[in-house]
Amino acid sequence: MDVITAFLLTFPIVFVISLLFDGIDRKIHARMQRRIGPPIIQPFYDFIKLLNKERIVPAMASSQIFTVLPTLAAASSILSSAILFTSVMSGTSFGGDLVVVFYLLAMSSVLVTIGGSSSGNPYGAIGFSRKMTMLIAYEVPLLLSFLSVFLKINSTSYYNAILTQVKVGSMLALAFPSMAVSAVAFLLCIPAAADAVPFDVSEAKTEIIYGPLVEYSGPYLALFKLAKASSNLSLTFLACTLFFYLPALFGDGDSLWLGAFIVCLLLALILWFLTITVPRTVFARMKVGQAFKFYWIVALPLSVIAVVLSALGL
Amino acid sequence: MKNMVTEKHGETKDVEVDYARLRIPFGPVHPALKEPVSLRVTVRKEEIVDVDIVLGHVHRGIEGLAENRNLVQTLYLVERVCGICSHSHTTCYVQALEEIGEIKPPERALYLRTLIFELERIHSHLFLLGVLAYEIGFDTLFMFTWHVRESILDLFEKITGNRVHHSMNTLGGVRWDVDQSMVEEIMSTMKNLHKYVQQIHDSFQDKSVEKRLCDVGFLAKDEAIRLCVVGPTARGSGVDMDVRRDHPYAAYNDLREDFSVVVKEKGDVYARTEVRILELFESINIIQKILAKLPGGNIRVEDNIIKLMRRIPQGEAISLVEAPRGELLYFVKTNVKGGLSRLKIRTPTIPNVLGLKPMLVGCEIADIPVIIASVDPCMACANRITVVDAVTGEEETMDTSVLRRKR
Repeated sequence: MDVITAFLLTFPIVFVISLLFDGIDRKIHARMQRRIGPPIIQPFYDFIKLLNKERIVPAMASSQIFTVLPTLAAASSILSSAILFTSVMSGTSFGGDLVVVFYLLAMSSVLVTIGGSSSGNPYGAIGFSRKMTMLIAYEVPLLLSFLSVFLKINSTSYYNAILTQVKVGSMLALAFPSMAVSAVAFLLCIPAAADAVPFDVSEAKTEIIYGPLVEYSGPYLALFKLAKASSNLSLTFLACTLFFYLPALFGDGDSLWLGAFIVCLLLALILWFLTITVPRTVFARMKVGQAFKFYWIVALPLSVIAVVLSALGL
Repeated sequence: MKNMVTEKHGETKDVEVDYARLRIPFGPVHPALKEPVSLRVTVRKEEIVDVDIVLGHVHRGIEGLAENRNLVQTLYLVERVCGICSHSHTTCYVQALEEIGEIKPPERALYLRTLIFELERIHSHLFLLGVLAYEIGFDTLFMFTWHVRESILDLFEKITGNRVHHSMNTLGGVRWDVDQSMVEEIMSTMKNLHKYVQQIHDSFQDKSVEKRLCDVGFLAKDEAIRLCVVGPTARGSGVDMDVRRDHPYAAYNDLREDFSVVVKEKGDVYARTEVRILELFESINIIQKILAKLPGGNIRVEDNIIKLMRRIPQGEAISLVEAPRGELLYFVKTNVKGGLSRLKIRTPTIPNVLGLKPMLVGCEIADIPVIIASVDPCMACANRITVVDAVTGEEETMDTSVLRRKR
């Protein structure tokens, strides 16, 4: 498939798939709590309804930052998914695109919190400081996990990671012990990056009223919701293609791009369920200190081990 | 950092301004609060350094209203002081009137009152446990607890016809009787409930829950005694008090052997939670005993309540009950015309809310919701009383003339 066509095609796909997965997540979450839950397309209803609402900017807010950031956040997280999707669909990528994706993912969550802190609301400020603490907690293991992959595949290009798996004929996480450890570290970081319950300290609704999002409403909130859904999609899709590229087991990736893409999406949904839906159903929210401790005691050593093993060639 | 600040009266004063301090308005509208109360929390980073508690957002002037109504109308008025412990309020009020009028309700009525009382305690404690789970972000436990609570509300509906305001009490007895099939249904519900409460108990011992509840919101025993906190809040701090045992009312004198008072020494949020969970088991036990030895006979001394009301002379009485949140006190003073010349209600939330300050100071922002929930504040109960903020002195007292003008 032509790269340009694929790239342009990914935007509507990212939009639909991310909101659809969000709806499935909410439905399963509700069923696990013995509730009926919202319809699966509820996030679409929410998005359309919020877009039609009035735009409210608080008098205390620095209005330019407050109004521009939702768009930027949505753009960066959609772009990160789009880059990944294009690679899988067209079978091409550019050197360093994994670094760009990592940057865009961090960017979208930083932008949300900066927007919140510009609202002038004290809860936004607390949310900002909590999110910054959490970023330090989970971005370091996440980055090290990326680094171990770079060392393993000798490249910073996303499609090379997929090609390596096709060449080996197995998933990266199954083929190499270093990658298995790295995958665990990566998956542990997903709930924090997605602000799912045990680690949703920056949004904790009963404590600080959604923190950064407290003053956002209408179209701005719609964009933030979209940003969050597509960044979740991008994280889970990245995890499943980097470490668990299932199509690699069935031969070369070139001939069946559409099938491979759909298989990867389904795998991403399963990872979404395991890393976001399940934790947020079965755990209580942690405090900032406890969450920070968890990442630096559990996830960080794992990712360091992954880097060392990867450097040793295992 | 030192700053010169000009005071109101033109004097300059050297005041230390700490820019790391942030004053957060917690309430009156906040997702963590079931009812409006305003806490002005001063924090330094995540640590709480000071708390101001401001009450009065749902002041309804019930004590004043009671003075314009007759004794029977007031019975339905006091039921509406609180939605959760409505039966406690009517029992307390009716007991005071029966004391003044020297009316002795039949044994069966006293047992039925106690039955509803304990069902209400179960439903109130389950309500709170659900809220606590919600405050720490454990929505699944919250949904499960409230699902269990539904069975109690259904029982209320079957016995009295109402889920929240049961209107069970009347002068000299109760309004509704339970028959044999109802007794069996309550028995089977209790059996199921025991199983569910055991599950809830296990869930609260889960590591991720314990992490949030243990070692936060300490209230020392001497502090608890000094602030006169009552109910599970006091019992969680090692104060051994329970009106049901200390001043038995209704059928509790006969049931003295069938329950024990749960006391935990530690004084943190988890201790208060555990007291409530263990009280659920006690309540289930009490209900089973009540149903086993339910005496026969009438359920009220007189069907015509107006006739009974006219029999009540001028007089005054104090009545005490153990509401789900703690000791509830009514002072009732009747006049010759079958009305009230004074009604004073002292709900358990008033002393308990004062305990919040020593609990909160030194904790983190993340702990505020659980700590508030752990004393189970019932603001609608507390806010009949006008409270003046003694710290800032800003709050005006809402006397009757102000209330009338605002209306």
